[in-house]
Amino acid sequence: MNLKKTLVVSTALATFAMAGAASAADFTIGITQNNVGVDSYQTTYEKAFIAAAEANDKVDAVVLDAGGDVARQIAQMEDLIQQKVDAIIIWPTNGQAVIPAVRKAFGAGIPVIVTNSNIAAEGAEFIASFSGPDNITQGSRSAEIMCDKFKEMGIEDEAQIVQISGQPGYTTAIERAAGFEDRLPEVCPNVTLMETQPGDWNREKSQQVMEAFLVKYDDIDGVYSGDDNMGVGALNAAKAADRADDIIFVGATNFAVGYEAMERGEYWGSIYQSPVDDAEAALKTAIDVLEGKDVPLLNYFDTPKITQDNMSEFDKPVF
Amino acid sequence: MAQGNLKVIGELLAKHGILVAFIIFMIVFTVLNPRFITSDNVLGVVRSSAILGVMAIGVTFVVVSGNLDLSVGSMMSFSTIVVLDLHDKIGPILGIPVMFAMTMALGALIGFLVGYLKLNSLIVTLGMLSAIHGLTLTYSGGKNMDIADKDGTWFSIFGQGEILGLPVPILLFALLAAGLTLLLSKTPFGRKVYAVGGNGVAATFSGIPRARIVFYCYLISSFCVAVAGLIQASRSLGSQNTVGQGLELEVLAAVILGGASLLGGSGTIFKTVIGVLILGFIQNGLLLIGLEFYVQYIVTWVIIILAVWLDIAAKRGQLWSPIA
Amino acid sequence: MMKRTIFAKHLRESAIWIFIALELAFFGIAGEFLSLSEGSFLAPDNMLLLIKQTVPLGIIALGMTIIMINGNIDLSVGPIFALCAIVLLDTMTWPIFAGLGDWVIPVSWTLAILVGSILGAINGLIVWKTGVDAFIVTLGSMLGYRGLVFLYNGEQPTYHLNWTLVDIAESTPLGIPLPILIFAGCIAFTWWLTKRTAHGRNAFAIGDNRTAAVNAGIRVGPHMVWNYVLIGFLVAVSSVTFYSASGSVNPNDGMLYELWIITAVVLGGTKLAGGRGSIIGTVGGVIAIQLMRKGLGHIGADTAMVNLVIGSILIVVLYIDRQLNRKGEQELKA
Repeated sequence: MNLKKTLVVSTALATFAMAGAASAADFTIGITQNNVGVDSYQTTYEKAFIAAAEANDKVDAVVLDAGGDVARQIAQMEDLIQQKVDAIIIWPTNGQAVIPAVRKAFGAGIPVIVTNSNIAAEGAEFIASFSGPDNITQGSRSAEIMCDKFKEMGIEDEAQIVQISGQPGYTTAIERAAGFEDRLPEVCPNVTLMETQPGDWNREKSQQVMEAFLVKYDDIDGVYSGDDNMGVGALNAAKAADRADDIIFVGATNFAVGYEAMERGEYWGSIYQSPVDDAEAALKTAIDVLEGKDVPLLNYFDTPKITQDNMSEFDKPVF
Repeated sequence: MAQGNLKVIGELLAKHGILVAFIIFMIVFTVLNPRFITSDNVLGVVRSSAILGVMAIGVTFVVVSGNLDLSVGSMMSFSTIVVLDLHDKIGPILGIPVMFAMTMALGALIGFLVGYLKLNSLIVTLGMLSAIHGLTLTYSGGKNMDIADKDGTWFSIFGQGEILGLPVPILLFALLAAGLTLLLSKTPFGRKVYAVGGNGVAATFSGIPRARIVFYCYLISSFCVAVAGLIQASRSLGSQNTVGQGLELEVLAAVILGGASLLGGSGTIFKTVIGVLILGFIQNGLLLIGLEFYVQYIVTWVIIILAVWLDIAAKRGQLWSPIA
Repeated sequence: MMKRTIFAKHLRESAIWIFIALELAFFGIAGEFLSLSEGSFLAPDNMLLLIKQTVPLGIIALGMTIIMINGNIDLSVGPIFALCAIVLLDTMTWPIFAGLGDWVIPVSWTLAILVGSILGAINGLIVWKTGVDAFIVTLGSMLGYRGLVFLYNGEQPTYHLNWTLVDIAESTPLGIPLPILIFAGCIAFTWWLTKRTAHGRNAFAIGDNRTAAVNAGIRVGPHMVWNYVLIGFLVAVSSVTFYSASGSVNPNDGMLYELWIITAVVLGGTKLAGGRGSIIGTVGGVIAIQLMRKGLGHIGADTAMVNLVIGSILIVVLYIDRQLNRKGEQELKA
């Protein structure tokens, strides 16, 4: 609130000082985010985005939040088109439902940059670029991390695992699960994925799901969670049941809590993904597009594997 | 004849219906999966129901007094976030009472609006649901709140500790249930709560201070929410801002399942506890027999409608409603 | 004395519009200082967009108004909204309709609206036949219908992008977006129903005093069922209007809609206990809420602020409404 308001107020005052009707900056870029405040990743992203926009004299940013509601996001797209911003960045609440709204912006001549989680293939022709992590690769990398660990332990032919997926219906959750489920049989064909249940990106929900798994299955060798927030929930459940030592935990989107659990040796590995990189990449992509530079359609930023073995190479996440 | 039998069964169900349903339910799930009744699983379910249960006990007071409370979910997020933040800032010994005071201040505000200003409780608590969520986000800046030193704090005792082999959340749940049962069923205050809910106008004429009783009910409810937040915070030592989101409806479902009338004047803590346990075991049981999580929504729907319907049917002595 | 009573009544009925005027003035002026937008907040284009954005919640709120005048409530509108969308988008891909080409569109619309009406009827029949309180019945079906949404397609979104469908939904006959025309049609219909028909009079009578209504020979049960069919129908119309333009539905869509809608209806002056309310007031209520969301976004407020403000305003409006009413009642007695 404060940051954004100061940003808005200060730019408005600057505008007044110059007595110009139009904005002082070269570009006005509008962003509609998925659901700020639901987790630290999205909040850190928003702050990083505002900071990056503030630091750049060429840019004014209109920052909106859809609160996870598709209808509200479509309305915000329409608002931004109506306000004639120079470019729109969208963090889709739903990978398909926003396509017609994106087409509308395309029709109005406003370039659209999709951030963090891509829209479906049908919409590809209407966007200028996608900037974000490759969630399918993230899922397959998690499968590799888990498989490598099982090989190291010599249980790659008998291991049984469970999966806790993200919020049902969200592109990131679907893509990570798909990447993981496709890759696992390729690298470790004899590892059995016994069951998948959604943890809704929610630590508490994930803890409950894991409690039920622990009662249901006597032998669990690994847990894959769609992000570390849920992974730590699963870890808490296993610790309470005194079974954490037998289980390999692998997540995605390394959160600070996941990093700490790795430091303690309780959590094996994850995917390192920084919301600051994510936000800055989105803004940079938008500016590149507006300046007429050549921008690839899929602009992935790298999200490397992080495990207890190599974690010293990474800073602890700030979120 | 059939009508008479129905009446007998009906009366039986009216008195102990929820218990009968509970027992049948436990037997069916045990047959489907014997693991269901193992002490590990039962303790696990009760422990993870403790948070919902503690909140439901408090809301029972509000419902018996003839009002609703839809704000308990976002209030629980608030108290969880606050106590986690204060833990690192001023330490748990000071942080816990301050969190209780802040949460109960919100309860007092609602109690004032509904009790003294006589505003409709559904709308007031709906507004508070949204406003408190905003308050939590402002307080935390939208970030997850985590205790820095997770291994070095005794604060984990409320959510993860054990005393005499029993998990502390269960003990807190049981203690609160016992204490508030006494308060609701054995004290003059409790009788006044029933009187206010049963017939608010008559209660006012007979000299019962309706406003004050309603005010206290919301205060009790917010106290229970603070306890739930404490357990939640201690259980995971870190939390999202949305941790309690949607719990208000689960809490209400448990209270209704326990047989409290939304019109007020009826319901007991014991029955609410049974309602909470039924919800917990449904969720756990369906997961155990390998059904998808959403099947529990449908099962809960059917059970809620059947439970309340049979309860009403028994009281009026006929299955179908007499409304033309 | 008489004059003042009428004045109080008018004040009460136009309170929501005064509130909207204040919001417009505030955001119009604040927007000049705080917004980065080049266009004015009060520009006709922006206002037209505002009305279009109220349509999804607005159409449902019309149905909720009649339900609440009648003294009931419906908490299950969110999952019905999602379920109708699934029916709309899924039936378009059914092989038996393959021969129809784009004529599958009206067929799918009809099926979605039929399903919405049936789900409403189920709620209504349970309320009538079991005598269980509507709040509990629809709290239950809020869960149960959501379960059905998931049962249909698991956790996956259901989608079908048909550009003909999107183009129809985005068309602007007479220069007005189609959703606004549909909304206008629904407003006209529900206004007529509440003001000009026996059904409407009965809704007020039952909500005001159910026993008296029964004594007067009104068949309360079927009346309630028809109201639930109506709200199911309107939820489906809203769903069809919205999802024709977006082409995809998440199983979680429509969550918390019931809370926003009830908020809007109460802001519009409908009494929760039943017996009082108006369609026009509800239209004011939904516009006021959308204006608030849009305006707060326009001046750069974040999610936390939006939640705080909307929650607080609801309580303040409830308080003011109560004061106005009390005044009106006292003067009537005098």
